Amino acid sequence: MSSVIEARGIKKIYTLEGGLKVHALNGLDLVVEDGQYAAIMGPSGSGKSTLLQILGCLDVPSEGSYKLAGQEVADLSEDELSGIRNKRIGFIFQAYNLLGRSTALQNVALPLMYRGTKAKERNRLAKEALERVGLADRMGHQPNQLSGGQKQRVAIARALATDPDILLADEPTGNLDSKTGDEILGLFQELHEEGRTILMVTHEEEVAKHCQKIIRIRDGVVERIEEVKDRQMATFTGDIP
Amino acid sequence: MFLENIRTAITALFSNRMRSLLTLLGVVIGVFAVTTTISMGAIATAGITGELEDFGSQKIIVFTPRDKPLAANFTDNDIEALSRLPLIVQKVQDTAGFAKYDDKEIQLSLSAVSADTTDTKIARGRIYNEQDEAYASKVIILTQDAVQNLFDKDVDPLGKEITLTIANSRTVFTVIGIEEKSGGLLGIGTGDAGTIPLSSFYSVVPYAKKGEYQYLPMQVDLDVNVDDLVSQVKSILERRREKDSFSINTIKGLLDAFGNITKILQSILGGIGAVSLLVGGIGILNIMLVSVTERTREIGLRKALGAKKNVIMQQFMIEAVVLTVIGGVIGVIFAVASLYLIVAAVPFLDKVIINPMVIIMAFGVSVATGIIFGVWPASRAASLSPIEALRFE
Repeated sequence: MSSVIEARGIKKIYTLEGGLKVHALNGLDLVVEDGQYAAIMGPSGSGKSTLLQILGCLDVPSEGSYKLAGQEVADLSEDELSGIRNKRIGFIFQAYNLLGRSTALQNVALPLMYRGTKAKERNRLAKEALERVGLADRMGHQPNQLSGGQKQRVAIARALATDPDILLADEPTGNLDSKTGDEILGLFQELHEEGRTILMVTHEEEVAKHCQKIIRIRDGVVERIEEVKDRQMATFTGDIP
Repeated sequence: MFLENIRTAITALFSNRMRSLLTLLGVVIGVFAVTTTISMGAIATAGITGELEDFGSQKIIVFTPRDKPLAANFTDNDIEALSRLPLIVQKVQDTAGFAKYDDKEIQLSLSAVSADTTDTKIARGRIYNEQDEAYASKVIILTQDAVQNLFDKDVDPLGKEITLTIANSRTVFTVIGIEEKSGGLLGIGTGDAGTIPLSSFYSVVPYAKKGEYQYLPMQVDLDVNVDDLVSQVKSILERRREKDSFSINTIKGLLDAFGNITKILQSILGGIGAVSLLVGGIGILNIMLVSVTERTREIGLRKALGAKKNVIMQQFMIEAVVLTVIGGVIGVIFAVASLYLIVAAVPFLDKVIINPMVIIMAFGVSVATGIIFGVWPASRAASLSPIEALRFE
């Protein structure tokens, strides 16, 4: 099986005001294989946010090599990184991050617009993605007309619309009640079964137990990778409003 | 992408309607001021030129200089000498007196022009003729203002006898005509005034010196080059009179002077307009900076989803330009509307002239304002790091 993520000796050093250097990542190695569904966990200050930023191509490592879907991205320019994010990564945020004045359909079509897809094709793909997350009847709604769970589903549809190599979710259930959160995890489960690669940052063991593996980060390195034994299964019904 | 960005810009501006409107105001006032002042200059000049054309001729006036009160008056011989030029020298005398009808009496400026050289335009009645001149008929043409002040509304002044008092002597004159009013800036045919035959003037004004004139108005056809004629008049009079004993004025000279005043006013008001545009531009700069800060998260999200720097740059530039273009449109609409109002309200302006170049320029300046004052906020937006923008925690 080929690996989507291959990070070797990743270091990220921040220089604070006054010259103090902080090693957020300290020579981290991580390989994530195609089709994997894994959680990243770690105490605050462990470097998991920095890791997610680098894995998401929002930032570049100070040292080390990062291959995303076989392509070295450690020393790309800002605009090149934008292109990579658009092509290879689907982001799902804790706070959904939808554009408030745009409809669900427009929100989902947004990354396709930055890719240069023509309007007609863009709408077709966006509709398909919204249908996939069970929101076919909410396409014209603006975020303020949607519940938290529905907003997150729109965000997932947006991440799916570009058919990325990997889905990166940052505390995707953090703003939701447990029932709605289970719904979202059920959707992730289905996407995983369809062959999607999903990396999810969470601080809740219960949530992490839905994944195949838990990657534990501490002091800027991978402490260990656990196989989840008593794996939780959630189902996506699409019923929860 | 460009169209999408325009749509995004309009949505963003509409979602902050009040703020956008207030920001627009500066640009609206600037464009309005610039467009109105430039067009007003053209309209006023056209008004005066039009009046001259109605008048049917140009004029050259020769007079004794004010600082030389003892300079000799002009004589019939001077007129004779000038008559070989392509112009008509008017024999004119004037004085002031009183006119009385019934129990109403008004002060009247009285001028006398010989029947063969007069260019007075008549609205009603008739002008005096060679016969009136020969017999020194006691007939008078009044201006509309004089008629209004001297007669009651229901009285037809034509044929009425009025009493003129000049230098304590009283003479009865018959009103035979009412002068046309040009209503123009030059004030031809306005004020309480009357015109009588020259011979009648000599017969009623005891101190009048026959054959001597304080000034000589000359009628010149519109197609004659006045400047050439002025130098010819000058050389003829210089041979006949003492040095520096006369001055020459032309209506064209007056117009040139007026044109200069208009230009100065235009530059001052245009300058104020430009300052207002600058202030409007700073308003846009301010609001765009606020908007970029407010929408940090949105910008971060767009970048995370793959928007490149120039796309974000373009989005905010378009927003600034859309704002100024709307301001420009509103400013031009207001300017055109108020030009029509001004022309309708002011009698001596007869048509609205709007040079398309002025409108094109106004738009050009609006767009330029948007671009100039949009660059900084837009590049700030474009250079925001997606991580900081998203506060990825």
